[in-house]
This record gives sequence, structure tokens and C-alpha cells, in this order.
Amino acid sequence: MSTDAARGIRPGPGTRRAAAAPRRAGTWAAYRWELVKLAALVRTRATLATVLVLPPLVVLLLRGQRAPADTLFGRHVHDSGFAVPLLLLGFAAQYVFPLLTSVVAGDVFAGEDQHGTWKTLLTRSVSRSQVFWAKTGAAVTFAAAALVLLTASSTVASVLLVGHQPLTGLSGQSIPAPHAAVLVVGAWASTAFPLLGFTALAILLSVRTRNPALGVVGPVVLGLLMGLAGSLGGTGWLRRALLSTPLEAWHGLFTATPFAGPLVQGAVVSLLWTAACLAAAHRSLCRRDITGG
Amino acid sequence: MTVTTSLPSARRCLAPAAGVLAVVGLVVGLTAAGSPDVTRARVERSLTPSFTRLYVDQQRVLGHEVPAASVAARSACDRGGPQVADVGAGADWICLVDFTDQTGVHQQGKFELQVHANACYTAAGPAKLLGGFTIPDTRGRDVTNPLSAFDVCFDPDA
Repeated sequence: MSTDAARGIRPGPGTRRAAAAPRRAGTWAAYRWELVKLAALVRTRATLATVLVLPPLVVLLLRGQRAPADTLFGRHVHDSGFAVPLLLLGFAAQYVFPLLTSVVAGDVFAGEDQHGTWKTLLTRSVSRSQVFWAKTGAAVTFAAAALVLLTASSTVASVLLVGHQPLTGLSGQSIPAPHAAVLVVGAWASTAFPLLGFTALAILLSVRTRNPALGVVGPVVLGLLMGLAGSLGGTGWLRRALLSTPLEAWHGLFTATPFAGPLVQGAVVSLLWTAACLAAAHRSLCRRDITGG
Repeated sequence: MTVTTSLPSARRCLAPAAGVLAVVGLVVGLTAAGSPDVTRARVERSLTPSFTRLYVDQQRVLGHEVPAASVAARSACDRGGPQVADVGAGADWICLVDFTDQTGVHQQGKFELQVHANACYTAAGPAKLLGGFTIPDTRGRDVTNPLSAFDVCFDPDA
């Protein structure tokens, strides 16, 4: 309810009606509009098309190459089709995931600043808080869609083009094909938590900086810095508090005695990052003085 | 809420500074806290069974059936010589693996480990003792040597 108080700071023409409107329906309608807006963006479609098309191309390219041994599972890409999606996951965790979500989440608020459309948007019969959750929901929906497509594309392309041989795990054990398939999908699914965290981080930057470029590039740079800090040894609990660490938590699924500690810690850390970033972004948007544009 | 719009400028400047200080304090505090993820015991505990499984695999490729129990592997690891504590990520880990080969002879292999902060490492085996990048299988085809180099991860909390 603090949001209504926040709106009270600068009562606009639409706010009185918004208070009377049914809250849930308003957010839902706004969410659907945000999805329509996202679907119309070339960038959104291009990103989804890329995550669908790129993995099969990479798999085809890998077939003619010497196995890349510097990333986990790289040395097994010719031996098992289940090693390839894990190699791609290891690579994506380092460079791709923050960008995958920030390309939309970093722009979803700042884009309104760029186009000067905040005033038009806020004359609709929805509160700022409802607009916030609608846009956040749309950004999370996009991130989830991108993750599902990337997982499906990587796994299916690898199994079809390389095969479904048993996978050599991270304790030298052999993992039979059906179990390996479940683990590969589980590993990709485990990155949903940090991806949500990066989405929230991009939303925060998008709201605070009001600059789409910073909103998109900021999480990528922060993700790389966190990955770098995490790869330095001797950082104690800092490594576990970073948003990039949960992207590697899936390693524990592939040992002879699987361990879930990093997965649980990673989920908690990601949710804390998400809550903190969304709370700060929500507060910032609701308290913002929107008079220009 | 209305108070914030009429904040004095001094407090407006102080708020971000306090935020930065809080973040720096948090980073320093977290870095100082906790115990190392990479320890000698964890590296040795993960290397011995991994080596055993991969040795059995390699011998199967070469046409020998070796029971895992007969390998009787043991590892002793050290980081960077006696002067350096045996904890933490680095490319200067050396592990000596004692084992019994398929003919029943005792062998010792020296593995060079590149240990990462994420509790995974790459172990490179001695080519003279355990073969190069590829080995010929029973039908004479060259296949990847499982022991030439392999990746292992261990539980940083166990």
C-alpha cells in the first residue's frame, strides 16, 4: 500500500480512477500489453530466433574441430551428445546469460524514458506499481522463454547431431543416456534462479539510469566482473554471494555422489538478489518525479 | 515520502556515499569470512576414485578387464612445494597417484592439476605411463585416452 502513498506525492489525472479499478485485473491487462509491446520489438524476436538457431550451428561447427578442452565437458563433445549442451551451458554461464535477459529487461523501463512515453503510459488506468509489476512480469516471461528455447535447442541439436552415447561425468563415472538427459535438462533448469536475479538487476539499472544502453550493457559488465571475482581464489563467502556463482552450481549434479549444496545456496542467493533489486527498482519508480517527456 | 523531496542537499550527497561504504564493507566482510573451498583433503578424496574409474575404462578400451578393487589407488597432493599451504585454486597442484597396473605391478603417476575456484580441476596424466591424447582400441582405431586429461569436480562443503 506504500505505493498508493507514493502515488499521492504527485497525483496525476489517472490515479483516482486507478484506485477504484480492480487491482489484479489492471496488472494482468497491463502485463498482456507489455507482452504485445515486447513481441513487436525486432530485438525480442531476433534474440529468440538466435537462441533457437545458434546452438545447432555451433554443434555443426564443433564436429569438424578438435575438442575444446578448456571448458568442462569440452573434451567429450565428440564422444557424447550430452556433453555438448553442457559445454554450451558452461560457455553461456560465463558470457551469455546476463545479456540474454538484459536485452529486454534493461530496456523495458528505460525505453519509456528514451521515447518519452512515461506520461502517456501513466495516464492509463493503472497505478505505477501495476505498471512496474506488469513490465517486470513481461521481462521475466521473456527470460523464461529464452531459457526454455536455448535449453531445448542445445539439447535436441546435440543429441540429433552427435548422438545419445553415455556421458563421462565429473568423477570419471559413466552416466547412462536416459539419466544423462534428465541431468542435462536439470542443469539448464537450475540456471533459472540466477537468470531471474540478472533480470532483476537489469530492471534496477533500467529504472535507475533511465538509459537503455546502460540497462542492457550494465548487467553484462557486472556479470563479467562477478565471474572474474568468483574465479579468483581465497574470496571466502564473497564467491557464494555473487550472482554469477549459481550459474555453475549444476556441476554437483554430475559427480558420482551428487551434491546439492551449491544449488540450494545459489537459489537462495539469487532470490535475495532478485528481492533486493526489485524492491529498490519499485521504490525508485514509485517515488520518481515524472513530469517531463 | 514527502520528506524525501525536500531533503537537504548534504543528506542527498551522503546517502550514496553511505551506500557505497555499506557495499564495500559487505564485500570485505564476506571475503574475510568462511573457510577455503579447495583443500588438499578434498582434492585427494575426489582424485582417487576418479582415477580408478578412468583407469578401469582405459584398460577396457585396451582390451583388459581390470576390477576396480585391484587398482588400489592412493593419491598424495601438494600445492606449490613445501613453502605454500595446500589450499586454494591454482595451476601448481601436483598429485602422486600410487596404483597397481593391470599386470599387478605397482606404479606411481605424477598428475599436474589445474584447480579452479569453482571446486573443479583438470588433471593431466603422465603420458609415458598412461598414454598420450589417443590410444588404440581393440579394433585398432584411435580413441580418446580417458586418462590423458580429465575434469573432476568436488563438493566444496563436504
